[in-house]
Amino acid sequence: MLSIKNLRAKIDNKEILRGLNLNINPGEVHAIMGPNGSGKSTLSNILTGKKGYEIEGEVTFEKEDLLKLEPEERAHKGIFLAFQYPLEIPGVNTNIFLKTSINAIKKARGEKEFDAIEFLKLIKKKSADLKFDEKILSRQLNVGFSGGEKKKNEILQMSILNPKLAILDETDSGLDIDALRVVSEGVNTLRNQNNAFLIITHYQRLLDYIIPDYVHVLKNGQIIKSGGPELAKNLEKLGYKDFN
Amino acid sequence: MDSQIKIDFENFLNKENFSKSQIQLKKNNFNEFVKKGFPNKRIEDWKFSDLNQIIQTNIKKLNFISSDLKQEDFEITTIKDFEHNKIIFLNGKILKVDFSLEENDKIVIQQNHNINADHIENSLVSLNSAFVSDYVKFTVKKGYQAKKPLIFYNYLTTDIASSALNIRIDIDLEDGSSLNVVDLSNQNLNNNFINIRQNFHVGENAILKKYFLDTENSKNIKYIYNNLDLAKNSHLEYFILSSGSKFLKNDITCSLNNQYGSISLNGIINLDGEKHHEIKTVINHKDENCKSYQLIKSVLADQSKGVYQGKISVDNKAQKTDGYQLSRALLLNDQTEFNAKPELEIYADDVKCSHGSTSGNIDEDSIFYLMSRGLSYHQSKQLLVNAFLNEVLEKITDEKIKIFIKKLTGLTNEY
Repeated sequence: MLSIKNLRAKIDNKEILRGLNLNINPGEVHAIMGPNGSGKSTLSNILTGKKGYEIEGEVTFEKEDLLKLEPEERAHKGIFLAFQYPLEIPGVNTNIFLKTSINAIKKARGEKEFDAIEFLKLIKKKSADLKFDEKILSRQLNVGFSGGEKKKNEILQMSILNPKLAILDETDSGLDIDALRVVSEGVNTLRNQNNAFLIITHYQRLLDYIIPDYVHVLKNGQIIKSGGPELAKNLEKLGYKDFN
Repeated sequence: MDSQIKIDFENFLNKENFSKSQIQLKKNNFNEFVKKGFPNKRIEDWKFSDLNQIIQTNIKKLNFISSDLKQEDFEITTIKDFEHNKIIFLNGKILKVDFSLEENDKIVIQQNHNINADHIENSLVSLNSAFVSDYVKFTVKKGYQAKKPLIFYNYLTTDIASSALNIRIDIDLEDGSSLNVVDLSNQNLNNNFINIRQNFHVGENAILKKYFLDTENSKNIKYIYNNLDLAKNSHLEYFILSSGSKFLKNDITCSLNNQYGSISLNGIINLDGEKHHEIKTVINHKDENCKSYQLIKSVLADQSKGVYQGKISVDNKAQKTDGYQLSRALLLNDQTEFNAKPELEIYADDVKCSHGSTSGNIDEDSIFYLMSRGLSYHQSKQLLVNAFLNEVLEKITDEKIKIFIKKLTGLTNEY
């Protein structure tokens, strides 16, 4: 599904990714762990098309050159990023934003767009699944949301857009245990043979709830070790220092 | 000043049938204008908008008289969104007045031929007084609440070009009355200088809501001088949508003359191309316990230019005044220009006043967030711009007019 070969990225002449390789197949959950400054967020930004990076290497998504696509085209193809810091957008109603978003994607795929009633049904069901207070959806997008609400809102968007590849950028940071459980359930419900997840995290904690198929350790812009779920547990015990 | 204007003025006086004293008044005003000419940037109030230069660049030679009007084959289209009263101006003159939705004798209309002798230090007001012929004055009678809004329509016939049009309207809201006015300033023909003077008197406990809309693209140069006097416990809601004309300056002076008056003045400047618009306000707090709130938001694209000059003046007897103004501008690229000049002049000690002005670019991180959810760059930008302006639209308290304005401008967040 996703293939990254020898990916290098610079921003303001500073090299962040230094030859990163990764393959993700449908049905897999990959976790990337790494210390601060190792390039985790850069990787998610590059996969979703944020501007401002000098990029070398090759990234294909379903055999298509991903790096050529605009951010919205990547969303249309089924890539989703749950932001580490979801942006507050004053004046934009959350419901209207969600409807605009899903209909933009449906339109790009040549599917029939949701009308108001279909959308309302969908959102009612999805927010109930995530124990998300619907009232919050009539507020301005992320404005005045607590940290946990913002993250849940990202997961709600993910579950509505139903992506092929979902990237979760430190979704667990700032979450209490209950919110962590809800977010994890959201991912586990969505998980199936046709989609994949890339979970970026500092801590092993989230991986108690979402069991990954693969764990990768990212350090200085490279994946220095890959393994199964037990790698995350080791890492938690030893810290990043001992991984060289 | 060009000798053509003198010939035009002589012809104008010969054509119209003014009394001797009126002729003298008009001559005085005319001489005042000829002496000062169109305002230029050396005048403080015009430092950001050199009207003399703007007229020279865009129109070159102006006709001050439009004697041969052809009105016969003119078709009027009015809006169908809601029932309303109408005053239709054609080439600056009143074509039709329709108050049929109101009770008889509650709104009294006078066509005025004569100007009064008031003097205002403003060469464009002098020009207006010199050349205005028929103008409308209407009075909303004591205690009468108009049932439907009133819309001003402004039309020009196609033979009008490079002309100076002088329009004047006086409105008197007697005590306890109320009226909502939509001023559709959509003259769609080109290269004219349109000089409008409006005087409003809002009586005790009266409510005036005024919505000024300039949305249709045109190469016209417009100046609106608006004077509003508020009596005790009266309320004014003023909304400006400044977007269509090549140049437009809304020059508004409001005076809170007696206690418990309040003003909510809100404006949008939304420009593209090489348009240049200005909103200038002066709010005079002359007595105790009055409130004024102003919110102006500007969105500038291409090479457009926006200006907001806002002054709050608080008299020494105007204790317990609340006076606030805020200007925010969104500059969509490097070639746009926004100038703000906020001023507070306070002679009382127990007041709460503030002003603020910010201008900045659109937030690219927000754009990326929206694009990552499938919206195009253009769609994301539009969503953010609309969200930015929506705060001002939400200040409109007449729901029907709010919906109409949102529809008119496409400033909704429904896609």
